Amino acid sequence: MIRQPTMRFNAHLLQGEARIPIEAQYDSRFSLLIRFFNGFPSNQAAEFSKIVFQQNGDKIELGPCEYIVEPHHQNFQGRLVFKQAVYDLNSLFFKNKIDKLQTEFSNLPLILAHKSKIKSEFKEFTAHLTYDLNVYKNIFDTLDARYADEPEPIKQKVQEAIIETEGRKFMRFMDQKLEDFENIIIDYSKKEHERHGYYLRKQIWHFLMCAPFMARTNLKPRGYSGDSVMMKMLYDNRYEGRSTFAKLMHKHPNEHPAAQAVRNRRKLIATMLGELKTRGPKSRGQKIKVLSVACGPAFELQDILTSAQDCALFQFTLLDQDKSALSEAASQIAALENKFNTKIEVELLNESVRTMLTTPKLEKMWGQFDYIYSMGLFDYLTPPVAKAVIEKLYKILNRGGEMVVGNFHISNASRYYMEYWLDWVLYYRTEQDFIDLLKDLQTAESRVLFEETGSQMFLHVQKTES
Amino acid sequence: MKKSIEFKIKPDWDEIEKVRNECTEFLQSHELSDDTIHSLSMIISELIENGIKYGNFKVVADKVAVVVNVDHNNVTIEVYNPVDESAYGHLSRLDRMIQWIRGYQDPFEAYVERIKEVSKKPLKDVESGIGLVRIAYEGKALLDFFVNDNNMLNVSVISNIEGDDRK
Repeated sequence: MIRQPTMRFNAHLLQGEARIPIEAQYDSRFSLLIRFFNGFPSNQAAEFSKIVFQQNGDKIELGPCEYIVEPHHQNFQGRLVFKQAVYDLNSLFFKNKIDKLQTEFSNLPLILAHKSKIKSEFKEFTAHLTYDLNVYKNIFDTLDARYADEPEPIKQKVQEAIIETEGRKFMRFMDQKLEDFENIIIDYSKKEHERHGYYLRKQIWHFLMCAPFMARTNLKPRGYSGDSVMMKMLYDNRYEGRSTFAKLMHKHPNEHPAAQAVRNRRKLIATMLGELKTRGPKSRGQKIKVLSVACGPAFELQDILTSAQDCALFQFTLLDQDKSALSEAASQIAALENKFNTKIEVELLNESVRTMLTTPKLEKMWGQFDYIYSMGLFDYLTPPVAKAVIEKLYKILNRGGEMVVGNFHISNASRYYMEYWLDWVLYYRTEQDFIDLLKDLQTAESRVLFEETGSQMFLHVQKTES
Repeated sequence: MKKSIEFKIKPDWDEIEKVRNECTEFLQSHELSDDTIHSLSMIISELIENGIKYGNFKVVADKVAVVVNVDHNNVTIEVYNPVDESAYGHLSRLDRMIQWIRGYQDPFEAYVERIKEVSKKPLKDVESGIGLVRIAYEGKALLDFFVNDNNMLNVSVISNIEGDDRK
């Protein structure tokens, strides 16, 4: 836990015409410790219209507030709490914002009104869904409570048995519900999808929050969808969560076609780079230069580098906007180096494709690559940006070099599950949309291929020799 | 009927109104509804304002470029302005903000969150980002950007055109 600095300062309290000097200290998010400087009866509770003090040159006035007697070990006499507007002192002192707890209610009329255009069939579906989910949750929670006192290994075995029997039936119930749901929303416009998705998530929020995967896709703690923790959950495809119900809710989206497609693409990249291994080194001492764009934790390296010889064959450049993902990639590379007792030549670049350097500077710094791949990036780029990025990457590809980029296809069977339940929106493309990104590249040979579920396609580009 | 319209303008606030008016006429020619045209005009003004505000105009030839393209399903608006390395901080914030906005299925949610954030009065001036959120929510549009090889920042917006967006 990060310990915050002591925030001690002089202030004064206003009570009628009286101005009472005090020393105050930030002690908790919603209270200040205080000490009176001059003979104020500190053993009696009292009310004040305001506390006034200076912070970084700004005059701050907060109130009304109440003094609570509470002798304290640091020579403070009591505590000040707010009576009407409840100020978040953590925000004030550490984020320089005057933030009242009641601010959360400021958009209430807007949010309540947002349900006005929800279709009745959808409301009915959501009501039945929440009823059913509550029933399931209650039963699974009741079972959890019945074996809660068993020794850990027994608890695990009992839970596994429940998951394999009634749990799998619940998964089929979820499949059926999703089928019913898709039949209802199939003809909705984009605006209707957005509004109804918001409505659904508000209704089933506590179910979503209990499942680690669904909670993370909805909350997006790193500020964007598809972060490396979500990727790890997809790759692991395990039952995770604090209860049987939570585990099932976590696992269900991980078994859906889009999740399988993510696991498939990892294998696909390993296979494609495996083909490069069979071709061997380019020439004596020259490594195969590979660039992974939006690399995330680069789990696929575990599948690509399976021996010390493999490690000696490649030089990797891993680019990602997220420092945490790069750090995870670095740990993984270190583990592979230990495993094979060899060094892996790798460069980690913390860059966003939107702000990355101009091509001449990129070439100067990184050189040219024999193989460039990007799996989970183009799903977030609109056509002008996707086209610019693919052209930029193409320019730093060696002649004869190959590039593979992934994008979920417009027919992704998990699309509405992802959008409505996971709040995970992608930019979907058709094959033609994908190929059109290359329309200004004269020397490219391209083809589109799919992984087994058909949810995700890959644009394979080869820079021809001419 | 023209599919697209382009402008190159001086980085001057007075130019915004002219472009806005011409774009409105162009969009009317595509028989878009008044509400849609109003939203798209708001987006065009907002993007040009940002272009002027954050652009790095060193010589007279440096301009703000605007391209509006209408096809069957979408209206795409692209605004270009020159930038240099001093813009990197702004671009990083823009990157985070756009990814954050687009992280919500319903831009209404980003709008509500942003309004809430703005109402937590900051003691120092900071960019509210409310203009970008309005583009996504009121303009019902997908935002994105990149910096091209000529150091031109391209901020683009794609607005999906559905049945009730036309007259």
